[in-house]
Amino acid sequence: MARNEYQQQLEALRAAVVEMSELVCDRFRRALRALEEGDEKLADAVVTGDHEINDLYLELEQECIDLLALQQPVAGDLRFIAASFKIITDLERIADLATNLGAYARRIDRDRDRHRYPNIDVSHIGIQTIEMVEEAMRAYESDDAARTRSIDAMDDDVDALCERAGEAVVRDLLERERNLDDGILEDVSRTLLTIRDIERVGDHAVNIAARTLYMVENDDELIY
Amino acid sequence: MNFGLPTLTNTANTSTANSATNDESTTPLERDRPADGSSSTDAGRSSTRATTETDTIIEARGVDVYYDADQALQSVDIEIPERQVTAMIGPSGCGKSTFLRSINRMNDLIDIARVEGELRFHGKNVYDEDVDPVALRRKIGMVFQKPNPFPKSIRDNVAYGLEVQGTTDDIDERVERALKNAALWDEVRDQLDKSGLELSGGQQQRLCIARAIATDPEVILMDEPASALDPVATSKIEDLIEELAEEYTVVIVTHNMQQAARISDKTAVFLTGGELVEFGETEKIFENPDHDRVEDYITGKFG
Repeated sequence: MARNEYQQQLEALRAAVVEMSELVCDRFRRALRALEEGDEKLADAVVTGDHEINDLYLELEQECIDLLALQQPVAGDLRFIAASFKIITDLERIADLATNLGAYARRIDRDRDRHRYPNIDVSHIGIQTIEMVEEAMRAYESDDAARTRSIDAMDDDVDALCERAGEAVVRDLLERERNLDDGILEDVSRTLLTIRDIERVGDHAVNIAARTLYMVENDDELIY
Repeated sequence: MNFGLPTLTNTANTSTANSATNDESTTPLERDRPADGSSSTDAGRSSTRATTETDTIIEARGVDVYYDADQALQSVDIEIPERQVTAMIGPSGCGKSTFLRSINRMNDLIDIARVEGELRFHGKNVYDEDVDPVALRRKIGMVFQKPNPFPKSIRDNVAYGLEVQGTTDDIDERVERALKNAALWDEVRDQLDKSGLELSGGQQQRLCIARAIATDPEVILMDEPASALDPVATSKIEDLIEELAEEYTVVIVTHNMQQAARISDKTAVFLTGGELVEFGETEKIFENPDHDRVEDYITGKFG
């Protein structure tokens, strides 16, 4: 095989993007846990650690630009680099969303922890979206077009769950209209924001799947 | 391989019978079109390059080329669109230059070369017995890898083909037009009597392009026209090729894949063994070729 150095650079890029995704997914899982358990220390770690992921993102972005400028990639190589370039942006955004969750977790009033309201478990939806990201990244890692196609359907499921969760929060709020205090309002607002952010992670997973499908099969079906 | 024989030299050597009247409408090539498609080509000429529907000007059907017993091209089928840039790429020895030279019968000049199959220009097989290769080369000009101006003045280099044709037009005017179309006029307008050999390499190549287009061809074949030039001169030739495609059909052989990607509308990929493996829109070839062998070649995984 010719252009060995170049081929190695491409594989190194792929490995680095996968590694970035592992870091990001781990960060998001921690953020969900921080939120669920009201763990301020864990929340702090998530928030302050975001710059690492930003640095990694910028480094990989530069690597893509270098490859484009110096190697003039074409065909499958070009689609791989173009897809990677887009995917790292999605990963970076997921990390930002993890940071959001970390910030929400920091604001939880721990004295009220036992009576946290509303009593809705959104973290299982969060886990589901992160599993979608992991599934999309497995497709990216192994050039597996078949895997990408299931992710769109998974996202429909997540969207429905998020919608129901949001409705449940609002319904509960309306039922308690006479017994509102500031703490409850904050809990409600935090839960709604969390639901919105989790739903966005699912959208990023779909983006990653879409770019991967384009990369593997030049198929833009999921992009639109 | 460069024969060192510019198109117009061949014209000069053998064209007396045809150029005597200088009436191109009497050459067999120009008027022998298929009865059913006689008007479509003329209609196509007024269209701009922007139209996606273009007419085929050159069509190969099962073209085999042999050098003695060695087969250089295997059953090539291709339809080259009018007024577009078609690039031919492939590794050394893949037959792309052989194919280019088959189009205007430059292979006639090689004794051991034999062409089979049909190579049609406006529907007429150029290897038919009634085709005059000299008249053909007037319609299908050629530019070579190494600029090969005559040891004559700039003006005479361009006027040469016109004079051989015995044109009655104002020669100075046509020289000026050709030099302008070849993007050389502004650089040489005050020194038309200077020898063509005194120009820089890039200017010499544009002079050769001016010489090729002075006789008003329909097709310009280019065999690695920028491979001997520096990047600045190369960009000028590349810009020029794109401009030329507004008026002419350009077929270019290049070893530089990025060059093919930059300037061509269609790309043909020949691979070892003289096989045309894939031909299509340049974007398609460079973003998502159908054949793994083409992908391996253009991404450099070849060999």
